[in-house]
Amino acid sequence: MPKERLLAYLLLAPSVLFLLVFFAWPFAEAFIVALQVRGEWSLGNFATMARDINFAPALRNTMLLILVIVPLQVMLALSMAMLLTRIRRQRDLVLYIWTIPLGISDLAAGIVWLALLSEQGYINTVLDALGLIEGPTLWLSYERPVALFVAVVAAELWRATAIVLVILVAGVQLIPREYGEAAEVFGAGAWQRFRRITLPLLKPSLQSALILRTILALEVFAVVVAISGRDLTVLMGEAYFWQNDYRDAGVASAYAVLILGISIACTLFFLRALRVREETEMR
Amino acid sequence: MAGIRAENIRKIFGTYEALKSVSLEVADREFTVLLGPSGCGKTTLLRIIAGLETQTSGEIRIGDRNVSGLPPRRRGIAMVFQNYAVFPHLTVFENVAFGLRMKRATADEIDRKVRRAAAMMHIEQLLERYPSQLSGGQRQRVAVARALAVEPEVLLMDEPLSNLDALLRMEMRAELKGLLQETRTTTIYVTHDQVEAMSLADRIAVMHGGRIVQYDRPIRVYQDPATAFCGGFIGSPPMNFIRTQPVEGGGYRIGGAAFPGPAAPAGEILFGIRPEDLIVEPESGPGLIDAEVGVVEPLGPHLLLTVRIDGQPARVTAAPDLDIRVGETIHLRPGPGRIRWFDPATDQAIREPA
Ligand SMILES: Nc1ncnc2c1ncn2[C@@H]1O[C@H](COP(=O)(O)OP(=O)(O)O)[C@@H](O)[C@H]1O
Ligand SMILES: [Mg+2]
Repeated sequence: MPKERLLAYLLLAPSVLFLLVFFAWPFAEAFIVALQVRGEWSLGNFATMARDINFAPALRNTMLLILVIVPLQVMLALSMAMLLTRIRRQRDLVLYIWTIPLGISDLAAGIVWLALLSEQGYINTVLDALGLIEGPTLWLSYERPVALFVAVVAAELWRATAIVLVILVAGVQLIPREYGEAAEVFGAGAWQRFRRITLPLLKPSLQSALILRTILALEVFAVVVAISGRDLTVLMGEAYFWQNDYRDAGVASAYAVLILGISIACTLFFLRALRVREETEMR
Repeated sequence: MAGIRAENIRKIFGTYEALKSVSLEVADREFTVLLGPSGCGKTTLLRIIAGLETQTSGEIRIGDRNVSGLPPRRRGIAMVFQNYAVFPHLTVFENVAFGLRMKRATADEIDRKVRRAAAMMHIEQLLERYPSQLSGGQRQRVAVARALAVEPEVLLMDEPLSNLDALLRMEMRAELKGLLQETRTTTIYVTHDQVEAMSLADRIAVMHGGRIVQYDRPIRVYQDPATAFCGGFIGSPPMNFIRTQPVEGGGYRIGGAAFPGPAAPAGEILFGIRPEDLIVEPESGPGLIDAEVGVVEPLGPHLLLTVRIDGQPARVTAAPDLDIRVGETIHLRPGPGRIRWFDPATDQAIREPA
């Protein structure tokens, strides 16, 4: 084997080993656990999962959260990225400030929003002072599922839009300025330039951002628990409760496998839907 | 159709003054070439005329409108970019159609004008392809077709041929010349290639250090450079300059020969002459410059000689069949009326008193 090839394999080896030990193996393990009941191969865990009263709401809530959060985040991040291209001075500073929430753990983010929205929280205090509500109002309770949902959406938007932003800003910077200038010279206004030049050329970055965000949104958990306890059920939460409260690794693994399945389906969908034909790539 | 006027354009980037009060007037249907070395401000001036860059001060007029504050799309221009800037995600047809679509032209009109522009640039057979499936020369054609399709009042081109290889460049140059003579579109064409400038221009604006130092017909720029820089930048090999002092009783001695000339401003003057204007004579004689031959390069159409005159280097082109040896002293007769004088301190040409 040529020396360079050997070196390449040697350099790859640590990460391959890491992936095998910490990803591939647990993966396989989860499948095995999910597909076995008391040592026998069976689909029993999946049946238990599907019959559970929390399953349908958890699945519905998770999907709804994805359908609401991901498009909102992409639109927000796109607007922010386009705004950034227009700022000349202090652009990096603005980008840093916008990405601060990225450094905050999701549990902490949930607690921040809990502090804002709880009975004695800041939002109530302000609304009360303005005379818009009478005394402390309980926003976050199982009696107000919509309020819970909106609170989770707000927290997730605040926490994780920046990751989409970072990907899109990097993508925008890859587009040579001349394309926008050529479009401008040939009569395109700001909106036309965005729609006909920036957006199509941003497709690869949009694809990455959508895949990443959808997978992360499928795993939404800590924020939800912090804000709602178990009043708003989600798939990842159910996996956690089956593992830790009911001590049933089989059903918990079934949830994990289901989440993995949906992730793969979404990834394949975005790979196809935002496919960039080879001949239209930027070069 | 429209002329272009740039009036006292200054451009300061941070602390660097890229354009120092540049004025330029291009007549309706005229082809002007901005020529100058890299970094002299050609692109900056062109982009200011296009509206892609904002001048620090000064005014741009196109036709009878002051367009200084208008965005590019309201200036009635089309542009060919140095790196083509052909949209990679659109077919050749859609690229050429882009400007027409933005103007909301009808489908019929778009089809007709795209096909006409494509025919002019000989790319009809490429209309369904994507830019990545084209060669550099073909992409260049698409970029020009896209500009021609909108039938602009003014066409701006920034080094459109500089990314092509030499042979293709010559071919496209001739083709562009023929084409633009036909359409008679007012054009500003930026290049650092003096041959391109000579070949294409109605008038050449020579830029140097953020200024236009000469603006004239190509032959005038070639024969009567306004500054020593112009003489050195245009022509290959460039104009020769011999630094000298006046002799007693007036005039100058170059390589042993006496020449009348204008007064030297600060005791020194540059004697300038083009390599092809030095004629090799077989015998020494009055008025002939003695030169010692250093290098002989037989280039085919002529011999290129590198010589020393009064110890200073100079180049001479001579007939290819002359028998000239290294180390030999040859005798050069300046062509009548071909000697130019320059002030070494200011670089400016000094006209001989008539
Ligand atoms: N956006 C910019 N910021 C700072 N300096 C610039 C910018 N654009 C051009 N310059 C400077 O202005 C000078 C002229 O540039 P340019 O017009 O591109 O020259 P040319 O096209 O003649 O090669 C160069 O020294 C260049 O470095
Ligand atoms: Mg340039």
